[in-house]
Amino acid sequence: MSGALVLLLALGLLLVLGVPVAFALGLASAAALASQIATEPALVTVAQRSVTGLDSFSLLAIPFFVLSGELLNRGGVARRLIAFGKALVGALPGGMLVVDGVACLLFGSLSGSAVAATAAVGSFLVPRMERDGYPRSATTALTMTASTTGLLIPPSNILIVYALASGGVSVAALFWAGYLPGILVGVLLVAAALLSNRRSLPRARRREPGELGRATRGALPALLLIVVVMGGITVGAFTATEAAAVAVLYSLGLCALYREIGVRELPDVFRQAAATSGVVLLLVATSMAMAWVLAFERVPQRVAETLLEAASGAAGGWLVLLGINLLLLVAGTFLDMTPAVLIFTPLFLPVVSSLGFDPVHFGIILVLNLCIGLCTPPVGTVLFVGLGVGRLGLGELLPKLLPLYAAMIVALVLVTAFPGLSLWLPRLLGL
Amino acid sequence: GGPSARDGREVLRLGHGLDPSHPVHRAMEAMADELARRTGGRLRLEIFPSEQLGSERELLELLQIGSVELTKVSASVLESFAPSFRVLGVPYLFDDTEHQWRVLEGPVGDRLLASPEAVRLRGLAFYDAGARSFYTRDRPIRTPEDLAGLKIRTQESPSAIAMVRALGGNATPISWGELYTALQQGVVDGAENNPPSFHLSHHYEVARFYSLDEHTAVPDVLLASTALWKRLGAADREHLLAAARHSARIQRRLWKEASDEALRAVREAGVQVDTVDKAPFARRTAALRDELAREPEMAELLEAIEAQRLAVTEALP
Amino acid sequence: MSAPDDSSRFAARWRRRLDSWVGGLCAALLALMVVNVSWQVFSRYVLRDPSSVTEELARFLLIWLGLFGGAYALGRGQHVAIDALVVRLPAGWRRGTSIAASLCVLTFAISLLLFGGTRLALLVHRLDQESAALGVGLAWVYAALPLSGLVFAGFALLDLADAVRPREARE
Ligand code: NA
Ligand code: NA
Repeated sequence: MSGALVLLLALGLLLVLGVPVAFALGLASAAALASQIATEPALVTVAQRSVTGLDSFSLLAIPFFVLSGELLNRGGVARRLIAFGKALVGALPGGMLVVDGVACLLFGSLSGSAVAATAAVGSFLVPRMERDGYPRSATTALTMTASTTGLLIPPSNILIVYALASGGVSVAALFWAGYLPGILVGVLLVAAALLSNRRSLPRARRREPGELGRATRGALPALLLIVVVMGGITVGAFTATEAAAVAVLYSLGLCALYREIGVRELPDVFRQAAATSGVVLLLVATSMAMAWVLAFERVPQRVAETLLEAASGAAGGWLVLLGINLLLLVAGTFLDMTPAVLIFTPLFLPVVSSLGFDPVHFGIILVLNLCIGLCTPPVGTVLFVGLGVGRLGLGELLPKLLPLYAAMIVALVLVTAFPGLSLWLPRLLGL
Repeated sequence: GGPSARDGREVLRLGHGLDPSHPVHRAMEAMADELARRTGGRLRLEIFPSEQLGSERELLELLQIGSVELTKVSASVLESFAPSFRVLGVPYLFDDTEHQWRVLEGPVGDRLLASPEAVRLRGLAFYDAGARSFYTRDRPIRTPEDLAGLKIRTQESPSAIAMVRALGGNATPISWGELYTALQQGVVDGAENNPPSFHLSHHYEVARFYSLDEHTAVPDVLLASTALWKRLGAADREHLLAAARHSARIQRRLWKEASDEALRAVREAGVQVDTVDKAPFARRTAALRDELAREPEMAELLEAIEAQRLAVTEALP
Repeated sequence: MSAPDDSSRFAARWRRRLDSWVGGLCAALLALMVVNVSWQVFSRYVLRDPSSVTEELARFLLIWLGLFGGAYALGRGQHVAIDALVVRLPAGWRRGTSIAASLCVLTFAISLLLFGGTRLALLVHRLDQESAALGVGLAWVYAALPLSGLVFAGFALLDLADAVRPREARE
């Protein structure tokens, strides 16, 4: 039996039994590999891949932003920020969803990491918005999906990975190409969230006199956090990952300023952040082991080759692109983003180039497509972070995610059908 | 279970970290063809590029574990597995590429390739990885003094860090994946690598000065696991070695082309490429060589490498 | 006093102990990570003398936090499962699946973390593998696998004990 089949069957069985996803991924990967090579090296290899899956500096953003979110919440900082947001847009029905969407888009675009944005915005906005009557599942779903826009809006590490894998596409052109599609996705997501939640959203209320001024003054030190973190990244004081540690220090400072929690409560804050991070990191670890087993069995390549063979008989470039999009959507549900870009770019880029599609345009399609995959079960880092910081089960979250997946797919269709959305800006700048 | 042998055929998995358009990958494809030709398709090489199976250090470990059969790593990554390879990290070790390849294809090279046997690895051949030079954001590096106070991204190895420090720079570890934005935002002032990597990584878009000081010329090494090596009969070992050597010859030609092409392309993109006087750089780093020479084994290797240089000088009329 | 009562109190005591040890370790790891990365920024941006070990130390601490944090989360029942099917089962079946699920977690801990992790740590220890920047034995990094495996196995056994015990005794 092929390793891929063993993996699929074992994973399905374990998940149905109610085994937590992280453990199911690890056991299924081990079973699949042991069906192909001797058992001992198979077990040792899955252990090694789980650890090396965590051996990445950029993953530090997860525990740090979870911790700073926890501090902001318990320290009374988040409340002040939300009061400010409400004062700004509270008069609109569901206005806080707009705030959430914009916060994710801004944070995601500047940090370049959907995971960091979900961890940061999710861990402080979601619990607060719940108290204002926004269902936890709705805000978590929007936070997750809207955070992926940061992978399209520069700076974006994944677009650099694509430039590398494509061998010759300019990073600058890709960066400019990502702006409009990224903003389009963000707008469609907020619209879809407002529409699909219209019955459960808190009603709009009138702004009280002087409320905006009071709220702004109250939130000022907290708003400075955004200035410090984003300013520090922009002037080159620290990288996006290091910014997460700076955010923790700043949050500790704010806690000291507001004195709503004492030093004695700090260990508990740290423990809670560690447990939440543990959920996410263990999922990352074992899903990386699974991605390795899939690569070892050449599953992505085999599927891609089968698809290209089938498509070569058919006429019409759009049909091939449609097929590629469908395959990427399926693959994205199983693979993490960086391995997916590295594996699929060399397979598909020559095909779509020969059909006359621009490689910059294809890069945006590829990344947008895989952004959807980041948020879909069974494997998706952003999904994992969302489940962790939202403290939700998949069963609660999924219904709220479905309309947002639809919005992203609409965006994908638009970006695929209208190359100008991606290419207008870079061409305007002569890139 | 069992090794991936089916009806006498065996699939050998070869993992590496470069992308499929890289000269190394293309040379490996030539190796796969040659191996299939020599063994009538009995031994089949499957190549996994782009770190699909892991980074270089992780791949070495997978060879030791026994789940992957072959890999290609930089000799600098091998240093912590087989200390003899540290000798290749000495700055300005070779006079020129002819000297370098006379050494690597001679007894010193053979000795190095056999040295990691005790740690379950068997070297097969050396690939060319050119020479590394500095590239910077704001101004070129014409003398070591130009490096003073600059934050230079350095590989996380003691010898690489010591070298940048000896030249007066601030060695700054940043992961390769984060380096583009780190350069763009000024988290670091520069980095160092060979021309194809400088080009393929797109770092030339944000680092506009490339100063060809060519401080180190650390080659890549193609390796097999000793588990595979022991499993193969004498004849198949010979086939594997011959296919590896065949691929190494092709790789050196492809590398030269890629290197020239990379320099041409970055110049065309507006990067200022400077050739610099290497002597002051060599003087500033000489202490590193002397320090290494305090170890008897290193002294012996350094002497043997030196001798290969003299051999030519004497042969001149 | 009946026997199941004793055993449940015994299990509860051990759960509290394990929770407090691992929670303390995780909080300490997280605090150390914050200090370490802050120092990385400070030494580079303010002192202009970048530390060459902080990046590697951060990654190693993250591995430890990921594994021990994962074990800690297991003890708190925070891991994510797809429970859509299980919750629709009759109570007797549900107990069966929760026993099976705990056994799977135990298998994960024993086969991958304890066995696989120990073999891996011994391999790099025997072959004398050191990290590039800190020069510490990589066995110390990989040791997080078997050590956290003990905690995972401990919580899995406690979960198993809870699932096996008849319903009344669990109240
Ligand atoms: Na971005
Ligand atoms: Na997914």
